Amino acid sequence: MDDETDFDVIVIGAGFAGAATAFQLLKEGIEGDRILVVDRGEPIGSKNLTGGILWGRELDDFEEFLGNWEMDCPGIERAINHKKVGFLSSEDALFVEGRFASWDGTGGTDEPSQRSSWSVLRAKADAWMAEKMEEAGIFVMPGMKIDQLHIDGLDHESYTARDLTDPAEDSGKGAAQKWKIDNFPKELVDKIRNGKIRGIVQDGEVMTSNVVVIAEGSNSILTRTYHFDSMLNAQSKEDLLLGVKEVIHLGKERIDERFNCFPGDDERPPSGMAMELALSLYRDMAHEAWKEYPVTDGLYPRCGGFFYTNRETVSCGIIVQLSSLPSGIHTYDLYQAFKEQPAIAALIEGGEAIEYGAHLCPEYGLHRMPHRFTRDGALVVGDAAGLVFANGMQIQGMNNALHSGKLAGKAIATCISNGDVSAKALDATYTKSLKASYIYRDLKRFEPATKFLNNPANFTWVPELVGKTANRVFREIGEEKVPAEKVLRQVRKEMRAKSKANKKGMGLISMLKLALTGRKL
Amino acid sequence: MTETTKLGLFTYDVKNGLGLIGYNVDEHEHAHIIVDTKKCGDCDSMMCVWGCPAQCYMFRDVGLEEMKFQYEDCVECGTCFLMCTDGALSWNHPRGGFGITYSQG
Repeated sequence: MDDETDFDVIVIGAGFAGAATAFQLLKEGIEGDRILVVDRGEPIGSKNLTGGILWGRELDDFEEFLGNWEMDCPGIERAINHKKVGFLSSEDALFVEGRFASWDGTGGTDEPSQRSSWSVLRAKADAWMAEKMEEAGIFVMPGMKIDQLHIDGLDHESYTARDLTDPAEDSGKGAAQKWKIDNFPKELVDKIRNGKIRGIVQDGEVMTSNVVVIAEGSNSILTRTYHFDSMLNAQSKEDLLLGVKEVIHLGKERIDERFNCFPGDDERPPSGMAMELALSLYRDMAHEAWKEYPVTDGLYPRCGGFFYTNRETVSCGIIVQLSSLPSGIHTYDLYQAFKEQPAIAALIEGGEAIEYGAHLCPEYGLHRMPHRFTRDGALVVGDAAGLVFANGMQIQGMNNALHSGKLAGKAIATCISNGDVSAKALDATYTKSLKASYIYRDLKRFEPATKFLNNPANFTWVPELVGKTANRVFREIGEEKVPAEKVLRQVRKEMRAKSKANKKGMGLISMLKLALTGRKL
Repeated sequence: MTETTKLGLFTYDVKNGLGLIGYNVDEHEHAHIIVDTKKCGDCDSMMCVWGCPAQCYMFRDVGLEEMKFQYEDCVECGTCFLMCTDGALSWNHPRGGFGITYSQG
């Protein structure tokens, strides 16, 4: 292996994937001063945003560096023991709610008793994690954006970072998108896309390493420009979600009271609630938008809502599939409709928004993973690799980021000690272990769920049908009682009579098809 | 019959929301997104306008004849880059230390 390099490993991005890679490298015996972690945020964490919930106890493996992270990390907010899923339409809300003693980790039930999910605020959590990396002896450099990767035998001044992201003059649209770089000499293009990566370039300065880890997160420019994700390079918005949220301050006591939380003690963090919702709030907005902008007539925003309790605040927001957004509706107005739905408005009453923000979320599924995870001297981890799992009941990315970082750390240490960091060697270790891990197995098993989740029915008539039916079944207005099944039929009949779209969408065959794909969740 | 709340259109006070975020805005010569607004004229869908969660793009939605872009409020999500169908955008992250600074995240 080349000992002349400035570092053994340079990690780009100090989020969970990058931090896990660095910690794992330490565990494998790589010296801390041979690991550099750079992040474009200053302070670290200031560029990051999540919904969000951390699922699973992946951080336990780094106890030697993080200690009692669950109690000590300021961005790990509340341990979730209270999960809700629900259907929201403009007028009705129906929730399924679980409170699980075993999720408290205090024992006494048949299920494994441990805390395994936490609400998270990433600006705080990542800053803390960066401190811990420094304490462990890792080089951490905040406020450093990487423009280019350093490629063996290629003068980085022969092209600029902008050449990689600027559209070509003769560019086509969609899949025919071309970049400035596409019109450069073939040899140069081939070097950029397939040459051996030997480090990073920042502000014209080269820093060399045996391996570069791209852990840039969901909006990873390097992953696109250095050709890991060929689909993104075609500027595809398919399977990308935009999360829009507010952090709303309610105060700890009010949250404890409003959501019936355990307040926390010396051994246990406060408990909290996590809620995800299917939304059917946008019918009127969509119809007005279609009238004004016929160019996207018929496109209905596929949107989910989320609501998580933090220590002092709640995270309240929506997540929208970008390919389903019609002209005429601003993404932040989708959020406003959610926020004003009476059931949500009641939860945030008296609160004050202290931060607004938005972030992409790659919900790729297996059908559009990056076409490669490694190159000679480089690999990609976490959200940058699209390792997010979603099946409608759960959405998980941070645990996958941590896990892929661990696998990367192990693989890189092996490859460095074998003196071979080629794509082939990294594939035989990293890619292989990634494909054998729960990340990949989950994605595979729930691949059919994507089809179900993309069905517009779930964002139009399903939440409405469920809400209306529940409304009548649970109510007494002095009329004769009718069995639930009959109520459902009646509501369906009324809804079909009300709109053409419902008449078609709620036909028996469409409903049967939906039920059949839904079975795979 | 009890009265029900009529829910119609919704408007988020995005300027107020953006006011809650910290920024360290870079100089104009280092703007991280450059829009070739000449290419925007014929665009029917204006997906950058609708997608952008920070109202950095303003056009016919607010009655303007020409696309008006500002990078100062950008939350660096990358949506506009994915949404633009006319190759009008040059997108990169801001220089290190510049741009949005979330304190919650």
